[in-house]
Parts: sequence; structure tokens; C-alpha cells
Amino acid sequence: MRYDRDIKNAKAIDRSSSRKTRSIPDITSRNPSPPQLHPHNTPSMEATMVLLPGENVPTDHLPKPKKGKLTLGPGLQHTPPSTISATTAGSLQVDHRKAALWLEHAGGRYQPSVGDLVIAQVHHSSVDTFSCALTPHTSFAILGQLAFEGVSKKTRPQLKAGDVVYARVSKASKWEDVEIECFNSATGKAEGMGQLKGGMVFDVRPAFARRLMMGTDKEGVSKGGVVVLEEVGGKVKFEVAVGRNGKVWVDSGSVRETVMIGQLLRGADEGGWDVEGQRKAVKKALRDV
Amino acid sequence: MPHATRPSTNESAFVLSALRENLRLDSRAIDQYRPISLKFSSDPDVYGQTDVRMGKTRVICNVSCEVITPYSDRKFDGVFNINCELSPLIGAGVEIGRPDQAELLLSRLLEKSIRRSNALDTESLCIIAGQKCFHVRADLHVLDHDGSILDACCLALVAALQHFRRPDYEVHGEQVTVFDVREREPVKLTLQHQPFCVTTSYYDAGTIMVQDATLLEEQCREGEIVVSMNRHGEVCQIAKYGGVPVDALSVLSVVKQSWEKVKMMDSVVREALSKDERERDKGGRMKAELSAENERVMERPVG
Repeated sequence: MRYDRDIKNAKAIDRSSSRKTRSIPDITSRNPSPPQLHPHNTPSMEATMVLLPGENVPTDHLPKPKKGKLTLGPGLQHTPPSTISATTAGSLQVDHRKAALWLEHAGGRYQPSVGDLVIAQVHHSSVDTFSCALTPHTSFAILGQLAFEGVSKKTRPQLKAGDVVYARVSKASKWEDVEIECFNSATGKAEGMGQLKGGMVFDVRPAFARRLMMGTDKEGVSKGGVVVLEEVGGKVKFEVAVGRNGKVWVDSGSVRETVMIGQLLRGADEGGWDVEGQRKAVKKALRDV
Repeated sequence: MPHATRPSTNESAFVLSALRENLRLDSRAIDQYRPISLKFSSDPDVYGQTDVRMGKTRVICNVSCEVITPYSDRKFDGVFNINCELSPLIGAGVEIGRPDQAELLLSRLLEKSIRRSNALDTESLCIIAGQKCFHVRADLHVLDHDGSILDACCLALVAALQHFRRPDYEVHGEQVTVFDVREREPVKLTLQHQPFCVTTSYYDAGTIMVQDATLLEEQCREGEIVVSMNRHGEVCQIAKYGGVPVDALSVLSVVKQSWEKVKMMDSVVREALSKDERERDKGGRMKAELSAENERVMERPVG
């Protein structure tokens, strides 16, 4: 039976959650660990399928949509009438409930998409905009000088070259400059965005940053499989902001603690620690500090 | 395309405040080097190829030679060239054929340390004076840059020169026969000494001296002092190109610290070379076969 699919390209399914400040969480609210659900191991799919660029998704892996529409996420491309091919190398993820499929790829390059929270570094300012860099060696992103909360033409934000801001991508397309803003243009509130003062910015892979921002599901289990920050947050007080462009800003009381958190992040990212490994590493690091 | 961004004010302020508390971002000591990994080519016929890693910094070196006519003003010397390139694998801002200032400085420091100090004896490369000599060339490619590329380049080069073997030859009057590697075992180069480079980055007007800086630490530093010396303590060159002024006593203490690091690097190279020789010469047969020495009996002098 042939389904008549009307396929449209969608943006990334998982939206990054906005989370700037965190205080010490209650010890009572931490549950003993059930089996960790990583997106690659969700029971809704069979074996993980790895696709290389140019390969077509086999038809038996496609979900059956109720309304006849299939949503495609990043890394997939539709060639009419009914072929879906991969554009990057990655593992295929399928969500049968939402009739969506996308590719998870551990690439090092970040491509801006609308709605992403990013950590941008100001490079220079012009008459009414700041030019900020999201990633090195790419064109600058434009941040309007009035795109902040509670700012008018008389009171502009004082950002110099080298300052770091937490912003959201408001416009991203292949043919125009990327635009970012430091407030929610619908409500006019900052929601945690704005200049990040002090602390330290650590580089991680964009895929790891995405796992950090996935948040926890209903049972309190981390969806991305990264528990480093939560574990450390149990003992150490710190502020963190995760940028989807592969940067994590950490500000803790002391230099030593910030260095420790940075090392744990790097270990979880490059060392590929699983949840148990992360817990052990955090315990060891907390003992040394 | 804009070039790489300088680190943000948050990052440079943090690195500086960490260094003031004697902390580095990867928990090393202030003068501690990252673990150095030195590998030679696994092909038994290939000599003189090295792959050096210091943390994320990665450099490969290849030494090769050919027979050419020597320069007319240097009839008794062979030719030795060093060619060092930053590969575009490092980042989008690097282009081959358009060396930027960092690459030129790197080449110049390597020339001063290795060629000008006569580490490789070029007279030993001469076959027939004025007519035939060996042209040894060393090609270095920096594949990944996380600081200390000069240190890694020098180490890779010295190890490759010590590992390399040139073809054997025989001279009969005016006739030279250069033997192929399959006909006669190739011969090692004569190195008079093994120089290494140690880069010291300093902060706070020379009060904090850091060895083996990562890329982030290098971008936040106020200046650097490069010392090239060998394990006997003989200094080949000291370079300080600009940067914040530093008093002479600090420079002397840096030279002393560098000596310890050079001894460490030298032992790394020697260990790797002996390990490689043992692997290529399993059972020790080649050494016994190729040696032309007779058994010498040490006799006591009479009287």
C-alpha cells in the first residue's frame, strides 16, 4: 500500500531550553538512577541506523503518519516523489508519535538556526549594531543595539570588543547575515539573555552542547545522557549558560571550581563518558577540590 | 573571511587569574609539558618519518635526500633544507603558499636552532668535492595547533634526523656508485648535537613563566622567550621578539628551566629511537651481521 505523503521540511525538533541560573537543587528531589534513556536508545526504535551522505532512507524505517504528513529534521532532504536522502553522516532518529525523522550527527561545525540560544562574542560595534562572532572564521552575526530588555535610544548597552553575550538567533538563512537578539521580541523580557560577566567560556562540540540542553524527561532522567552539571550542582554553587554553538559559560565562586567544571565538561565531551563514568569522574573531582 | 577571533575578555581574565593562583586549565604544573607522543613510520623500509603529538598539537616530519651538485661557493658541503608549513587542517584562516607572520617566525627559529647551529654536519654529506653531494631536506607539516608548535616541530625534526638513513655510496676515482637500499644497508646521518626548542610564555611583566602553553594561554600571554639548547647545556639561540620587557635575571632563570625541559625531551627522543630500533631489529641479528668490527680483546699493557 502506498502512502501519499506530503513532506515538508521542519526546523530542529528539539528546542533548546533556556536555563541560565541554577542554585543548589534539593537533595531530596534526586531519584536513584533508573536505566538511562539516551535518544539513541529509546525503545521506540529498532537498531540504530547510520547513514552516510547521499544514502536514501529505506522505506521500512519511515514512520507512518496519521495525517499523511511526514516531518523532516536536520540532515535529511526530500527529493520528490518519495525519496528521503541523508545530507550528512549520522544516526537516524525516528519519532513515531510525531511522525518525524532526523539525523543526529556529531559534527564540529555549528550552523545557526532560528530559535537557538547561543553564546556570542562581540567583535566590534557600528552605528546601531554589534557584530558578533558565533563561530571562528565565519561571517559575523548582527546584534541590534536596541535588542535588549529595557533599552532605548538614549540608554544603549555598553558592550566592547571581547564581551560575551547570551542571545537567541532570530534570523538565519544561507543568503543573509545571521541576526541575534538578547531579549524575547514577543514579550520584551530578557529571560536570562544579555551580557555574561566574569566566569569562563569553555569550548565543546555542538552536538554535546545540544545534549546538555536537552533537559530531563518526566522521571527526572537526563534525555541527553549528560549528568555532569547536575551532579556537580549538588555540591558546588555555580551559574552556567549553554550555547548551542559549542560554548558553555561557567561562573563559580572560585577559580579552582570553575577549572574543575571545565575539565569535567571536556572529559564528558571528548572522553565520551557514559552516565556512570560521569558520576565517578564528578565524585573524584569533588574530592580533590 | 574574518580571521580567528581573539579570546573573549572573560577567557583571558580567567586564564590570568588562574595563573596567578598557580592553576592551569588542564591541571598541569606551571612548567609541566603535556605528555609527548613520538611515533616513527611503521614501514620497515622507511626511515626519517616522525609523528609528534603534544596534547592536541600534532606535527609530522619527513626527511628525504637526493644526490645533486653542490653550490659553487661551498664545494665541500652538502645541502640541508628545512621546509615548515602550517597545514590548512589547523583552521580556516591558514592558506598554503601565503605564510603569515607566525609561520615565518617558526621557519626562522627552526633555521637558527638547527641549521645555524650545525646540528647536521653538512661536510659529511659531501661525496665528491665540487661535483656530487647529498641534498637532505626536511619537510614539516603542522596538522593541529594547540600551542607549542615550535617545540613540537623541533622535536619532530631532530628525531627524524636521528632516525633517517641515507643511501650508502662508494667512490672509485671519479666514479661514484650510490647503492640502493636493497643492495646495501643505508647509513645514519652524522649529527653533531641534538638541539631542542623550549618556548616560555610569560604574564604579569615576567612574574609568571609558563612552559608548553596551550593555544588559549598563548593568545593571552604578554610575550614569549624561545630558548634552543642541547642536553649538554649549550645554548644555540635565545629569541624574544617584542612583547612586554623582561629583566635579564628572569631570562637567565628561564634558560635554566629550559635546560631541564631539554633533557626531558632528549630522553623522550632517545627512548623512542631505541624502542624503534629494537622493533626493526628483532632478535638482534641485523646488528651482528652488519657490524664489521672484530672482537677486540682488551689486553693490559705490559710493564
